[in-house]
Amino acid sequence: MASAEPPVIPGPIRAYLLQLELELERADPALRHDALLDAEGHLRAAVRAGVDAERAIAEYGRPAEIATAYLAAEGASAASGRPVSASAWRGEPGTALADTGSGSHRSSVPGGVEAAPAVPAPWRVRDIPVLGIWADARAWGALVYFGAVGFALSIAYFVWAIVIGSLSIGLATVIVGVPLFIFLLGSARALCLFEGKVVEVFLGVRMPRRVQPVEGADTVGFWQRIWCWLKDVRSWLSLGYLLGNFPVAVVLFAVTVTVAAASAVLIGVPLLEVLGIHALHLDLDDADDVTVSYLGRELTPDADGVVRLPPSLIVLSFAVGVAVATAGLWLMRGLGWVYGNVVQAIQVARPRATVPPRG
Amino acid sequence: MPTDPGDRLQRDLSVGTAWLVVLATIARADEPIHGYEIARQLAEQAPEGLSFKQGTLYPMLRSMESDGLVRSTLVPSNEGPARKCFTLTAEGRRVLAAWCETWRTTSKWVNRTLGGIDGIR
Repeated sequence: MASAEPPVIPGPIRAYLLQLELELERADPALRHDALLDAEGHLRAAVRAGVDAERAIAEYGRPAEIATAYLAAEGASAASGRPVSASAWRGEPGTALADTGSGSHRSSVPGGVEAAPAVPAPWRVRDIPVLGIWADARAWGALVYFGAVGFALSIAYFVWAIVIGSLSIGLATVIVGVPLFIFLLGSARALCLFEGKVVEVFLGVRMPRRVQPVEGADTVGFWQRIWCWLKDVRSWLSLGYLLGNFPVAVVLFAVTVTVAAASAVLIGVPLLEVLGIHALHLDLDDADDVTVSYLGRELTPDADGVVRLPPSLIVLSFAVGVAVATAGLWLMRGLGWVYGNVVQAIQVARPRATVPPRG
Repeated sequence: MPTDPGDRLQRDLSVGTAWLVVLATIARADEPIHGYEIARQLAEQAPEGLSFKQGTLYPMLRSMESDGLVRSTLVPSNEGPARKCFTLTAEGRRVLAAWCETWRTTSKWVNRTLGGIDGIR
C-alpha cells in the first residue's frame, strides 16, 4: 500500500541542496536545475539504500566542489562570470576521480589530459562591434523561430489547448471530463518540454537536461497522484504557456516579418538597380502625373512606368537597409534571449529548498 | 595557486582515468545502470586511500552523453521517481576498447620502466 504523503527530504540533504543552489546562484538556471536534481536524486537513493544522510553528503562532495565540476563540464564559467577553480580538474591527494570535463576521451592516452591554462579566445567575426550580429547564429535562429517555426507551433499548441480544454469542460458533468483535463495538463507539460528543445536549438538558451518529476507523485495512489499533478505549479505554467504564447507569437511574427521585409526591400532594390534590373515598376496607362516616394525622395517614373533610383538614393537605400537589418537582428537576438529565458523559467520552476528548523 | 609537484602524478592519473573507469563500469553492467549504482560500484572497487566525489560523476555522464558515448533512458522505479539509466553506445564501446588497449600498453611500459626502483629514497 502506497503511503498517502510524499516522502520528506531529510534535513541535512535539504540543507545541502540549499548550499549547492547558493554555490550555483550565478550559473545558468538550467545548469543549476540539473545539478540540484542530480544531487537530490543521488542523495535520496543513498538514503533509501540505508546510507546515513550525513555520510552520503560527505561522499557526494562539498557544494563548492560539485558546483565547480558542473561549471567546468559545461564550460559555463564564462557565461556565469564565475571562475572555474583548478580543483575541478585536479585530483587532490586521495582523489581518484575528479575530471568531469567534456572531451577528455578525445585524447587517445588516458592520463594524458591536463587542464589547459587559460588562453585568450580566438577572434571571431561576431566580436565586431554592432555589425558582428550578422555572424551571430542566435540572431538568425531567432529570426527563423519567430518568423516561421515558433509561430506555427504556437498555433498548434493553442488549438490543442482550446480543443482539449473545451472538451474537458463540456464533459465535466460526466466523469470523462476530469481525466481529460488531467490529460491536457500532462500533454501541456510534454509540449512545453518539446518547446524547450526547439527553443534551445533556435534561440540558444540552454534547457534542463533532466525533467523534474512531479513532487510526490511516484509514491502515492492514483487520486493523490492526480492531486500532486494539480498542485504542481509547472502543470499550470505549461498550460498557461500554451494559451498565452499564441498572442505573443502573433506579435513577434508581425514584428519579424515587418523587419525582414523592410530590410529585404531596402537592400534588394538598390542591388537590383545596380545590376540593371529595375524593381520599381508601375503598370499605369499614364504615368506622367504619378510620383513615387522612396526614402523621402519623390521619384517620377519614365514613360514605361519604370522608376529609376539616382546613385545617391541607391547608396542611401542600401545603407538604410543594412542599418534596419542590423537593428532587426539585434532586436531578434534580444527578443530571443527574453523569450528563451521565459521558456527556461517555466522548465526550471521548482520550490526553493528551505532548511527545516532544527530540533 | 601553485600545486605541490608531488601531487602531479595523482592529478594527471585522476583526470585521465575517470572517464575510463566510468565507461568500464557502465559496460560491465548487464542492464542500464543509474548514476547512484555507478558511484556505489566505483567506491566499492576503489583501493584503500583513493576515493572520489560522487557528485562529479553526473556532469561527467552528461558530457559522455552529449559526446555520444552513452545513452540514457528513464527507467521507472518502485522506490521513487523514474531513474535515468545509462548504457554504452556503439561509439562508446569502440572508444572503451581503444582506451583499454592504450591503458594496457601504457601500464606495461610504465611497469617495465619502474622495475627495480622500489628502493629509491
